[in-house]
Amino acid sequence: MPGAAGRRAGCRAIPVKALKLEEEHSVSVNPREAFILELQDFLMEITQKDGVCGYESGIAAVIESAFSPFVDSARKDNLGNLIFFKRGKREDAPRVLLAAHMDEIGLIITRVEEGGFLRFTSLGGFDVRVLPGQEVTVYGSETVHGVVGFKPPHLIREEKKGKVVKMEELFIDTGLPEKELRDVVLPGAIAALKRDFITLQHRCRAGKAMDDRAGVAVLWQCIRELHNIHHEANVYLVATVQEEVGVRGAVVAAFGLSPDVGIAVDVCHGDIPGAQEHEVSSLGKGPAITSGPNIHPRIAERLLATASDYNLPYQKDFSPGPTGTDARAIQVSLEGIPTGLLSVPLRYMHTTVELVDMDDIKAAGRLLAYFVTGLDSDFMETLKCS
Amino acid sequence: MNELIKKLAGAFGPAGSEEGIRSLIREEVEKVCDEVFVDDLGSLVAVKWGNAKKNILVAAHMDEIGFMVTFIDKNGFLRFTNIGGVLKNTLVGSRVVFSNGVTGVIGREKIEDGKEPGLNRLYIDIGARSREEASARVKIGDSSAFLAPVSLEGHRVISKALDDRIGCYVLIETLKSLPASLPCTLHFVFTVQEELGLRGARPVAYRLQPHFGLAVDVTRTGDTPEPDYKMNVSLGKGPAVKIKDSSIICHPQVVEMLVRTAEKEGIPYQMEVLERGGTDAGAIHLSREGVPTGGLSIPCRYIHTAGEMVDLDDVQNSIRLLAALFAENW
Repeated sequence: MPGAAGRRAGCRAIPVKALKLEEEHSVSVNPREAFILELQDFLMEITQKDGVCGYESGIAAVIESAFSPFVDSARKDNLGNLIFFKRGKREDAPRVLLAAHMDEIGLIITRVEEGGFLRFTSLGGFDVRVLPGQEVTVYGSETVHGVVGFKPPHLIREEKKGKVVKMEELFIDTGLPEKELRDVVLPGAIAALKRDFITLQHRCRAGKAMDDRAGVAVLWQCIRELHNIHHEANVYLVATVQEEVGVRGAVVAAFGLSPDVGIAVDVCHGDIPGAQEHEVSSLGKGPAITSGPNIHPRIAERLLATASDYNLPYQKDFSPGPTGTDARAIQVSLEGIPTGLLSVPLRYMHTTVELVDMDDIKAAGRLLAYFVTGLDSDFMETLKCS
Repeated sequence: MNELIKKLAGAFGPAGSEEGIRSLIREEVEKVCDEVFVDDLGSLVAVKWGNAKKNILVAAHMDEIGFMVTFIDKNGFLRFTNIGGVLKNTLVGSRVVFSNGVTGVIGREKIEDGKEPGLNRLYIDIGARSREEASARVKIGDSSAFLAPVSLEGHRVISKALDDRIGCYVLIETLKSLPASLPCTLHFVFTVQEELGLRGARPVAYRLQPHFGLAVDVTRTGDTPEPDYKMNVSLGKGPAVKIKDSSIICHPQVVEMLVRTAEKEGIPYQMEVLERGGTDAGAIHLSREGVPTGGLSIPCRYIHTAGEMVDLDDVQNSIRLLAALFAENW
């Protein structure tokens, strides 16, 4: 396209206000540290709240109050997606959807058993190996505290020893006698895993539901950056529901908002011993920018270019199929939506010690904000297939 | 024996070939609703206009599982593929029927190394002596369904296709019992192709844009000897209020509507957490900007076999519950 290169360079020019970013957020201590401390507080708060797939209203309330100071409006749709809107400088400017899911995998009670034990199945894909020994909160007519139990090795028959336990062999023990338990907990009650936020060494933090509250933290970082940057694009930030049971919230959010561009923010596998290099991204080396058939090539290119223009750390990732993220739903909504995917590297996915690096979250938030500032009609032209 | 249940369950209608069952249902509902139409994929919609602007979609699927002919061999045996989730280990010896009335029986090649053979090792024998004779009666691409009698034992019905003709029956009887004046507009939808992945409910929900959705279908039970899943649902203990299945986590508000109505009317009910299987509710709730949706399920044993079983008390209680639900202005 003639002249496209020139226009692209032009629309990536740094808005004047953006240059003052560090200054505006600086306090007496090292500004970098101050910024992170706040972000960490937010992450701690949202990873200690429960929001199992389909039952996200509790976590939504916390997220809403943290985002509200920075947005023009907030609302919920029919399935509970929490939708924030931040107006751009031009009404006819592109509309961008930034989505991170707020639901977490959890448990649902199937039966109350003799002796006062609760049988359950999972909402979303739990690795059953990590469930025994966990603390849980059961949401019956009252909130009940429990632990996940199973037969100790001494009592397991020889031929079954060493075999991976099955979900149906596990149960929740609340300590309540059967009769009282039946009064409080019916089949269909939800249970969430309980785990305090763990501050590890370096910038590593661990806890439950980092998948994808880390992504919600990225959106929060992004909206705080955008608060101080000139941007033309109209921005919808959505904390989606029910991602873990099949990207269901994103399906209806994308339809309802009908954006010109969609970006999903989720987590990807971090580097661990035994994993192959191409399967993982390194913690602390920035968010992963995904390419592949689920992703519009111009969006991936623009994210990469933005990261490199602003000296933000990033990693490349390739996903050959439909990604298991909200990007999958957004891309094929309505007449098709150019979609991108930004991921925070995370170790021990779908456990209660999901581990992330604060720096990656911060960098992802900034990258997203700068990406938004570059969205104008010239860029939108480049998205058309020709 | 209830004649309407017998007619509905006995009718031919594998997914994609719902013409017969559709005209049967149409005859029943035409007299008792304000408007009837068929959408482009073949789902039948019966409308009862209400006073308020609210619009509720209630769906039961009229299709059943079946078998489609893929090949006719030189000796006249038919190879087939599944239409929906047929259980290959329950098929041998089952009778099947085609839309033109041709009947057959399912046979199997010899079992090697004790493994249950796949569908490609089964065949339908329509008694033909050659490919020519078989081809004169059925063609490649023809669909067949189970052929099985509908019988009543005490309070319980045994039949093929109770999934989900019993849901269709509940909808028809609910329609018949409704008063002339209603608070909400009701769309009773008899969907096609549910067994192939909720295909009929999707476009119909898109078209009707309901405020609430409800799927009336069957659910598994855990009350038989050593069941596959230790489900908390039993035959005869009331309709089941769905909490989740593999296609939906029901909207808490719709769950609440159903539970409150049952409590108020003194109708027995059970809570359903279904680990495997989806319903039209899954397609409805993801329509457009999302539709708060739930499910009311009739407990059913031996689902997807030629001998499904439901309890008539559960059926009657489902009708009572729905009639009371729709009398309210939600």
